Amino acid sequence: MLNFFLKFFGSIGKKFINFVAGIGHFFIFFSSAITWMFKSPWYFKKISQQILDIGYFSLPVVGLTTFFSGMVLALQTYNGFTEFNSETTVARVVLTSITRELGPVLTGLMVAGRIGAKMAAEIATMRVTEQIDALGTLGTRPMQYLIAPKIIASLICIPLLVLIGNTIGILGGYVIAVYKLNFNASLYLIATIEYLHLIDVIQGTVKAAVFGLIISMISCYFGYNATKGAEGVGFATTASVVISSVLILTSTYIITALFFG
Amino acid sequence: MKKKLDKKIIIEVSDLSKSFNDNIILKNINFKLVEGESLAIIGASGSGKSVLLKNIIGLLKPDNGSIKINNTEMVNISRNAKEKILLELGITFQHGALFDSLKNWENIIFKIANKEKINNQQGKKLAISIIKQLGLQPNILDLYPSEISGGMQKRVAIARAICGSPKILLFDEPTSGLDPVTGSLIDELIKTAVKTIGGSAITITHDMASVCRIADKVILIDKQTISWSGTPQEMFRSKNPKIQEFVKPINPKEFFK
Repeated sequence: MLNFFLKFFGSIGKKFINFVAGIGHFFIFFSSAITWMFKSPWYFKKISQQILDIGYFSLPVVGLTTFFSGMVLALQTYNGFTEFNSETTVARVVLTSITRELGPVLTGLMVAGRIGAKMAAEIATMRVTEQIDALGTLGTRPMQYLIAPKIIASLICIPLLVLIGNTIGILGGYVIAVYKLNFNASLYLIATIEYLHLIDVIQGTVKAAVFGLIISMISCYFGYNATKGAEGVGFATTASVVISSVLILTSTYIITALFFG
Repeated sequence: MKKKLDKKIIIEVSDLSKSFNDNIILKNINFKLVEGESLAIIGASGSGKSVLLKNIIGLLKPDNGSIKINNTEMVNISRNAKEKILLELGITFQHGALFDSLKNWENIIFKIANKEKINNQQGKKLAISIIKQLGLQPNILDLYPSEISGGMQKRVAIARAICGSPKILLFDEPTSGLDPVTGSLIDELIKTAVKTIGGSAITITHDMASVCRIADKVILIDKQTISWSGTPQEMFRSKNPKIQEFVKPINPKEFFK
């Protein structure tokens, strides 16, 4: 009986220690990556490649997602507020929801799925095929050459993607309001401009930057520490998308609470 | 004999041991590589040859023991000092480890391009001069590693290792997966690199024909330790059963007078 309890608590203790060690390991990686971001040489070619990949090639998926979200939001809000002065209410709800929450969160989740998975798989493959080891023997620091450009590009691109996504989302709401619900276009636009607050845009951009950091750090961390061949690459990819998504949804609440709580 | 003793020690491994968890891989490994010498490390698959190489280049940290390269202790060395030492080495990995996001010519000149600014034209010219020695055609330079055969990838990896003419060469199974003609071409290249530029090489291999062609000295890793060492000619006279197993398929008359 005593043995059973010892084994039971032993296994729990081991898992807890591994969990704490994992967090510690991540923060060492995090601080190292941040340090390398500010050290020369900066690999501008790598950074621009990443900007193209994260920013430009994510535009269609982000645009489509936010456009349809804006449309759905306009439609649902209209159904809910049909008895009130809907024109201004729909505009206000679409604007606030998109700029404060839906724009950043949807963009974050889309980029986590598209780019986070790609980053993790790419780095994990490099790890298990000894390419990262080879980098270290060729006078290049893997953290500086591989990881830092991805973090820098994410921090630049995701806020920009969110700003573009916000605009497209608001446009989606406008299209439904004007062409399906037959709202007055001028009144809708005036209401949108009237309710557009700088603090909402700033908060959305701050969220986007935090999401950029979360996606790139988590993906690079799991990729960089991948083991066990193809299975390890699969694990790194799945873990990076799942953990990034969970952290995006968690941190959006914390940032909202900090700004408006 | 006296002349040999006077030669500069390039790599010195003393009492090196390495284990993963409770699994002992290497125990009390001792050997020296002197200037102008070509050393072959043989042993069964999983005997720890690649682990030994990774310890030497600092990718793994030994549990205990010392590794000196050009008289500099590599264990617990600072990152900057280690990077400087590694720049003097030409290394190939078991599976090539070519960067698949870069074209072949970018792979070959990677180390040089990091040290000094060279334009694409200069880089390609340099890469062409190296791949010619390896029997590769220049048309592969603009392709990515995934677009060429495994044997070609191996040769591109060797080209990357010898680019910049490093004095210390470390090869992990350079001829595995290559046809016999290309294999002997690689052997010839290793031999030339060692003899003409006064370099030193460690080659990990299973290919005994290759050992006979390139090695001045051979060590056998068996049961976690060096169980035999000597010259290639001595291998054929050895009574060590493992060595006998290794040399059985080889006819020494093909290689030695």
